[in-house]
Amino acid sequence: MHISFERSGGVTGMPVTVALDTESLSSEEVSQLYQLIESSSFFELPAAIPAPVQPDRFQYKVIVREGDRQHTVTIAEPAVPKTLKSLLDWLIEAARRHQS
Amino acid sequence: MAHQEKSEWHSFGRQSFEKRRCPICCILPPHMLDKLLQQDDDEQRHSALSTLRASEQFRGRRTVVRNVSFAVSPGQKRRTIYDAKTGTSLPGVLIRGEGDPSSDDQAVNEAYDAAGATYDLFREIYERNSIDDRGLRLDATVHYDSKYENAFWNGDQMVYGDGDGRFFNRFTIAIDVIAHELTHGIIGYEAALDYKNESGALNESFADVFGTLVKQRSLQQTVDQADWLIGTEQFTSKVQGIALRSLKAPGTAYDDPVLGKDPQPAHYQDLFQGAFDDGGVHINSGIPNRAFYLTAIAIGGFAWEKTGKIWYTTLRSGLRSSSSFKDAAAATVAVAGQLYGQDSDEQKAVQSAWQQVGVS
Repeated sequence: MHISFERSGGVTGMPVTVALDTESLSSEEVSQLYQLIESSSFFELPAAIPAPVQPDRFQYKVIVREGDRQHTVTIAEPAVPKTLKSLLDWLIEAARRHQS
Repeated sequence: MAHQEKSEWHSFGRQSFEKRRCPICCILPPHMLDKLLQQDDDEQRHSALSTLRASEQFRGRRTVVRNVSFAVSPGQKRRTIYDAKTGTSLPGVLIRGEGDPSSDDQAVNEAYDAAGATYDLFREIYERNSIDDRGLRLDATVHYDSKYENAFWNGDQMVYGDGDGRFFNRFTIAIDVIAHELTHGIIGYEAALDYKNESGALNESFADVFGTLVKQRSLQQTVDQADWLIGTEQFTSKVQGIALRSLKAPGTAYDDPVLGKDPQPAHYQDLFQGAFDDGGVHINSGIPNRAFYLTAIAIGGFAWEKTGKIWYTTLRSGLRSSSSFKDAAAATVAVAGQLYGQDSDEQKAVQSAWQQVGVS
């Protein structure tokens, strides 16, 4: 499975981007990731969810490719469902872990 | 009455008197959301949109409160600080109202004091009565969410996270970051700059400009004494960086192995043109930020006086929601001429500043 993730916005304006491949992740990370993709029903989420524009809120773009299926979700913070938030938080952590 | 003319806000269930104000820019009108909900019977989409519709942002929570509060004490500073206790329900538990003694909670006091300093700058220098110029009560919630590394104005109130503690300190720690957010509120009631591309970068820039002016005034610093940075306290010592942004030298505020490098351009020739960050609103703001800095240095003295007055007057009457950098340059030059005379040193300073950043 391949994941590409980016977060923009926030008052800091500091971008977070990462590309992850499960082949280069630990088995613990891989199992966490599959669980979060599952619990967020990621592949069933709409590609874009409308949200009010609020300055300095975060925006996210997540692309997951697994086998022959690929799905992209672009979403602004006010529209993020709780179930997806855990995945986004995990990806931020992973981005920072794998950056250094 | 200026607000009345800009009445195309989608009020989203608010009463018609609310239309003159812009609590949340470009909000989706209810008929569009209804249409979306009906259009697709996909279960997931339906549930996502239902959640969205029920969410805090769509309810116009303060509609009633605002209506009442107008009559109470216009022209006075009124601050109310709440605690979300690391949850996401707003506004949370009331902790400190106007005139109440200090709290034991540092974040509460910082939110209270910085909102006061912001109110005072706009009231005492620009004769503006709060965010809406009608005495809006300044509400803020601290301890929002867990380890939340952000602060924002949601159209109704300020919201502050505690930061992750590893890279970011609490988001009440920097007075200019708080003033930045409150200024977003003011921009929404004035030029209402579209939050994308150049107009969005101007929106961000005005927020940084008045953010630093509130800080400089609180420290009584002249243009030469000020550091021209945004959020110097925001990073923990772990981060290789001095601040979130620099108005003096955009692109130089931080360069950290984990968090990356400050992406701001200092000149129009380096304008970011991608779709990321709403078309680079937090990136390209470096260009107008530097134009403000250069103007202030050339005019001298306290930046919130003459230079701030030019920028504030422009925000009120010189821009429209779709304004570009070029529009902002022309408007600030025109305003400087009106305030200080055609061909005055002040007007020349503004002209020269925009030229130096490649906008003219």
